[in-house]
Amino acid sequence: MHRRRVEIRFLGTHEGFAQAFVELRHALDREALDAAARYDCELIFEEIVDNIVSHGAVGDRAPDVHVTLEHGSDSIVLTFDDDGVPFDPRGIPDPMPAKSLQEAKIGGFGLMLVRHAASSLEYVRTAEDRNRLTVKVRRRPDPGGTSASAPSP
Amino acid sequence: MQMQLGDAGEGILNVLLVGRLDTPGVDSIETQLTAHLVPRGARAIVDLSQVSFLGSGGIRMFITIARALGRKGGKLVLYGAQPLVAEVLQTTSLNDIVPIRADATAAAAVARG
Repeated sequence: MHRRRVEIRFLGTHEGFAQAFVELRHALDREALDAAARYDCELIFEEIVDNIVSHGAVGDRAPDVHVTLEHGSDSIVLTFDDDGVPFDPRGIPDPMPAKSLQEAKIGGFGLMLVRHAASSLEYVRTAEDRNRLTVKVRRRPDPGGTSASAPSP
Repeated sequence: MQMQLGDAGEGILNVLLVGRLDTPGVDSIETQLTAHLVPRGARAIVDLSQVSFLGSGGIRMFITIARALGRKGGKLVLYGAQPLVAEVLQTTSLNDIVPIRADATAAAAVARG
């Protein structure tokens, strides 16, 4: 099956994150994606890269991040490769349902959303001491016909 | 990310959010939104109909503001989410702890409490 491939490389800082997100959205603009699949891709990118930027630094060194986006006819595969702190997101449980607003945790929702959006999630720590997270998004029928690609302000 | 405040009547504040509640969007609006709502213990309804993207940062922001309002006798109610945004709200079970309604009328009824 023919797959189109886009590579985005950046430093794992807030500035690098912002620039990479622009590149991702330009890459997604070139594909005839349904709104739900596009939303899922942006959501997964947002949550995974935010984790890398927030928690991946080794001392003062921001991680080198390499994201690959592969488009197939029935799915999109995002691969996140970084040399930050080892982190396997598969072992992180979803937050427990809160009994009350005052007891609710305010973290842990990012990986929950990634797991919901992904049809598969694979992780390896490579021989080169890099995290490699591969996330597959299945194209799906548009539930509401709304675009998820409104421009950032 | 933009924010517009309006009067929904009976002391209820209507907050229209426009744009993306991703990390930069939340960063650009959280301090301002908190400052408008929390010190006065507002009863506020938040119109999400023009929010095209919601990530975990937006969920965290809503929980934080709703909790702070609850301590001051205020209330936060969300309404009007687009389908894909509504899916994020449902996935995170936010509606277990923050009221979410389909439209402004229903949201205002909850805010009046």
